[in-house]
Amino acid sequence: MRKIWLVVKREYVTRVKTKGFVIATLIVPLIGVLTVVLVAFLATHRSDQNVRIAIVDNAGGLAESAARSLSAVRENGKPEFTISETIDRPASLDAVQQGLRARINSGTLDAYLVIPGDLTQPFELHTKNPNNFALLGPLNTAVNQTLMEARLRARGIRVDDIGELSLGADLQVMKVSKSGESVERGQTMGIGIGLVILLYMSLLMYGITTMRSVLEEKTTRTMEVLISSVRPAQLLAGKILGVAGAAFTQFLIWIVALGLLLSYGAVMAAMFNPGSSFPRIHVPISLLIWAVCFFFGGYFLYSAMFAAIGAACSSEEDAQQLQWLAMGPLVFTMAIYWTVLSDPSSTASIILSEIPFCAPVLMPLRMSVQAPPAWQAALSVVLLLLTTVGVIYASAKVYRVGVLMYGKRPTLPELVRWLRYS
Amino acid sequence: MDAISLENVSKSYDSVTAVSGVTLRVRQGAVLGLLGPNGAGKTTTIRMVMNILVPDEGSIHVLGRPVSDESRDSIGYLPEERGLYPRMHVRQLIVFLGALHGLSEAEADRRAREWLDRFELGEWGEKKVNELSKGMQQKVQFIASVLHRPPLVILDEPFSGLDPVNAATVKDIMLEMRDQGCTIVLSTHRMEQVEKMCDSICLINHGRSVLDGDLRAIKQSYGKNTVHIEFAGPDAFLQHPSVAALNRFATGVEAKIKPGADPQEILKAAVQSGAQITRFELLEPSLNDIFIEKTANA
Repeated sequence: MRKIWLVVKREYVTRVKTKGFVIATLIVPLIGVLTVVLVAFLATHRSDQNVRIAIVDNAGGLAESAARSLSAVRENGKPEFTISETIDRPASLDAVQQGLRARINSGTLDAYLVIPGDLTQPFELHTKNPNNFALLGPLNTAVNQTLMEARLRARGIRVDDIGELSLGADLQVMKVSKSGESVERGQTMGIGIGLVILLYMSLLMYGITTMRSVLEEKTTRTMEVLISSVRPAQLLAGKILGVAGAAFTQFLIWIVALGLLLSYGAVMAAMFNPGSSFPRIHVPISLLIWAVCFFFGGYFLYSAMFAAIGAACSSEEDAQQLQWLAMGPLVFTMAIYWTVLSDPSSTASIILSEIPFCAPVLMPLRMSVQAPPAWQAALSVVLLLLTTVGVIYASAKVYRVGVLMYGKRPTLPELVRWLRYS
Repeated sequence: MDAISLENVSKSYDSVTAVSGVTLRVRQGAVLGLLGPNGAGKTTTIRMVMNILVPDEGSIHVLGRPVSDESRDSIGYLPEERGLYPRMHVRQLIVFLGALHGLSEAEADRRAREWLDRFELGEWGEKKVNELSKGMQQKVQFIASVLHRPPLVILDEPFSGLDPVNAATVKDIMLEMRDQGCTIVLSTHRMEQVEKMCDSICLINHGRSVLDGDLRAIKQSYGKNTVHIEFAGPDAFLQHPSVAALNRFATGVEAKIKPGADPQEILKAAVQSGAQITRFELLEPSLNDIFIEKTANA
């Protein structure tokens, strides 16, 4: 036990003291903060730039209504479009278009809309930047409203404000769960995807860290000195726990930072804009606890696999070729998590979330969307635990044989044979 | 009680037999030279004594007890494949390895300082391992293997990479440890080191022990079958039928004499041929000769 502890301590201390660790610990929350600030900035400061648009009306009498729809003001009080000119039934469309194109190219106009003479034909938008979706949305609405108004008028119905008439209803989604109902604004999906990415990234990142750490002992030939006093299984256990310690230290720092940030954000929001509610994302504590449990299980499962791969190889290149053995199931999980997210109680989702290699990611995801029956969660934990024990046992065997093997990268059948050595 | 005893030990990997039926006793306080060509099975033998590998057959005792994880704490091991964590601080690393052998960290630290001073590495203790030269790393490794004052040390090529001054320091420390009753197993290809340091040898070839026992007795059993000759003039006499093999040097030749032949016959032939003999000396075979003879025709 003392030897395992010594290995854990060395692994933890040397890892936490590296520049890489300190930088990652600081930079990840920083990137997070910057992303949030950037998104918030972009959301509140949508381009103030006004789009100067000309309307060419071949049908006649529609330009005015289109202009009215387009000049509707936005929430920030500024109009999105400025109608620079309307041209009613031009004598020569080509000549007019030529003039407008020249103005667009010289920068005095941003776009022009052509209303066809025959309204069953498509409307045309001519612009320099056809990818500006912020522009296309309101334009499409305006075109539809114009068309609707024209058709109503053709049936003898006069409308003053087509915008009001065509106003749709919002569909408010309520999430029903055992603890009651909550308004759903996409936070379930947000939490689910966030959870999947977090679990996947950390399993992969710390798994590879463990693999590298084992590999370092082999490539620097420190291994034989070590295993002359520590049993390979002790070394493996110490290594996995040491890296885990470093990982959890990092997580703890991030979580505390996030907590501080959220409360700071809430305070700032209340100060500058009383009455506004800072977006609250409520993550149930039980979900957190489950996620941590599954993360632990998954971490030990994958780390043991990565460590065995590190032990079996003698160079970084070899390890990169063998690491698909451990990465495969993780990547597979990422490829199919959408199935679980969209229908968490389907048979496929139930089976997938019981598979131990997928469970660490998929079961917490299922839980975040819809609480599964207790027996399914329990079964998943038990299966994960048993598999983890089995994999650690097998990894210890590969480790024991592999740590002293140098040279050629072992093939899969060779790895299997190593498992049978006494 | 023997420091190490191997009883009919065998070990094979897949289809390759690495060690086959080796029986060996190392007396406590002895300095044993473990010899053999590359791939003979020395490292496998050592690894089995270190309980890194488990023999397929036979039994191994260390200091009177069957090998176990505990028995390894009484052994200081300097493997041939050596390496240190490159990014760890030197003294920290020595303390870590000492603690793994059962020392308290405070005690390990005290001893580490002593040893570093002795090897003139005192001011390097706070440096990282990868800032050290290869020879310095070698010394650090040696310190790490003897820090816990084991009653038995196994050193695989301890002098490789050391300059003559440091090699002499290591040699002095080994002799000092021997005088304190420590048993030393020295595995090396440098025969002159073995002749100077060891009182007994074990020669392994193709996984078998082909020669073992007291070094002096072994040499005597070969008799004085070598003549060292320094001369000027014609060398035709070296083709004498009593000469079994020749080894030429810059200053002279070493002629191995056929069993039962009389070296005087060669001297006679030399004088008759007109060679000017300046030195003619009967020698015991060198360990080098014994090594080559035992391993070449096996």
